[in-house]
Amino acid sequence: MYDPYILTDVGCRNVWAAGKKEGYAVNITINYYRGLPMSCVDEITLWVDGERAAPETMVLQHAGKEVPYLDILKDDFPTDFYWVYGEHLRVVIKKPGGIAQGVHKVRLQLGTRRSYTPTMVSVCEKDLIFA
Amino acid sequence: MYKQGGIKLGVSLYSYQDNFYFHRHDLEGCMAAAAGAGAEGIEVFADTMMPEWPYISDAFTDKWYGLLYRYGLEPVCLDHFSDRAMWKNKQLTDDELYERGVLYIKTAHKLGCKNLRVLHHEHIGLGISPYRLTDAKLVERLLPAAREYDVMLALECHAPTTIDDPVHEAYLEAAERRNIPYVGLQADFSSYEYCVSTADIELCVHNGCSRGVLERLRTLQRDAYFEGRPFVFDEVKREFDKMPLNDCDRAYLDMSIPVYGTSMKYMGVTQYNGGYRPTDWTQMYKTLKDYASKLVYVHGKFYDIDENGQVDNMDYPKIFDALKSGGYKGYICSEFEGNRRLNVKGWCDEITYVNKHHKLMRKCLEA
Repeated sequence: MYDPYILTDVGCRNVWAAGKKEGYAVNITINYYRGLPMSCVDEITLWVDGERAAPETMVLQHAGKEVPYLDILKDDFPTDFYWVYGEHLRVVIKKPGGIAQGVHKVRLQLGTRRSYTPTMVSVCEKDLIFA
Repeated sequence: MYKQGGIKLGVSLYSYQDNFYFHRHDLEGCMAAAAGAGAEGIEVFADTMMPEWPYISDAFTDKWYGLLYRYGLEPVCLDHFSDRAMWKNKQLTDDELYERGVLYIKTAHKLGCKNLRVLHHEHIGLGISPYRLTDAKLVERLLPAAREYDVMLALECHAPTTIDDPVHEAYLEAAERRNIPYVGLQADFSSYEYCVSTADIELCVHNGCSRGVLERLRTLQRDAYFEGRPFVFDEVKREFDKMPLNDCDRAYLDMSIPVYGTSMKYMGVTQYNGGYRPTDWTQMYKTLKDYASKLVYVHGKFYDIDENGQVDNMDYPKIFDALKSGGYKGYICSEFEGNRRLNVKGWCDEITYVNKHHKLMRKCLEA
């Protein structure tokens, strides 16, 4: 669901600290008709200009919280941290030097478990302009 | 207020999901849209439109009751989900799934909803869910909490099941045996689709199917329905074998493969557990009439509305006749599911769809 819309063009930019680029960020939305516990996210995979972002460099920011991407895939991850329906999940990719400003081809593969139907894997590819 | 048969009309806010997802309307905006359509009541998904979920605060609850008052709406139903597959490598135990069930019951009570749509194990038939959902054993455990909080556990009888499907018996039997009358049947109009919807055709064509193939299937299903005979796919299969089919068409026409995200592709026959059976429509409406007085809630499901103001693949006049003459007393809430099929082409105007649907339902009630 919402496959053409899960990768948004909002807030695509470099992430800076102390005058240096430390990475870049995109905002994504859920591929389902309700919010889900973050522990029900099976997969967030990003490719930028054909190159896959390393999962261990990805950090998720949502509802005032921040967690490393790999943490949500672990057993016993808290079940009350929800990805709110329609709200941005900000994915920060830590990469010294960030990303060149301008247009990049971004591909997102998002898998969510929703229990009464099998895991839904959605793919969205867009040209995004990074600031 | 529509007094005929004690039936009241409402809207499931599911119908406005795109307006919420794309931030055109918040919860209040969706409630305003429902009230504007003429709804007296609403169904709500806490998981979708209440960002505080799973912890609904008193402050939110105060606001909720204020909004219900402002828009003159009654809370009809909250939706329960069975997120058994909570982690990548581990599932919720029965105890944990039970606890989540109790949380939904308490939340329904807090929000003033008299019904909780339970996501029971056979909700969309057998063999589709990869996990054990809330089964009859778990529902039996939930009965004391349902009684304590005065919340009816509504078993949504969704396609490919029907209200008289034997899969619901174990739940009703548990309530009877325990003498806790807090399980009831909820009809969903998806059981009454006599042909593939035009909304499904749009989605499937977007996903690669040939429009001509699906439109021919729809025509054959409609011909059968309006000529009063069951649609039997095997009788027309040879016609499709002669058509130039692509892989998507072949998958769609394969009876043994469900297509997720579309309604039941073989309506007019009822696809069931990988097989299918022809539908006797006279019997279907008679059964609906026979069960009507016992139903606790009804989903007015629809995907598209045609140029005559009718739902494009269900016989609303006949469905409403059955509910009225059978003595149904309760809510029928619009549940527009065309949004998730039609939005691949761009913005889907859910508000206008629901308004047209309410106009049709009122006409059916007054007929």
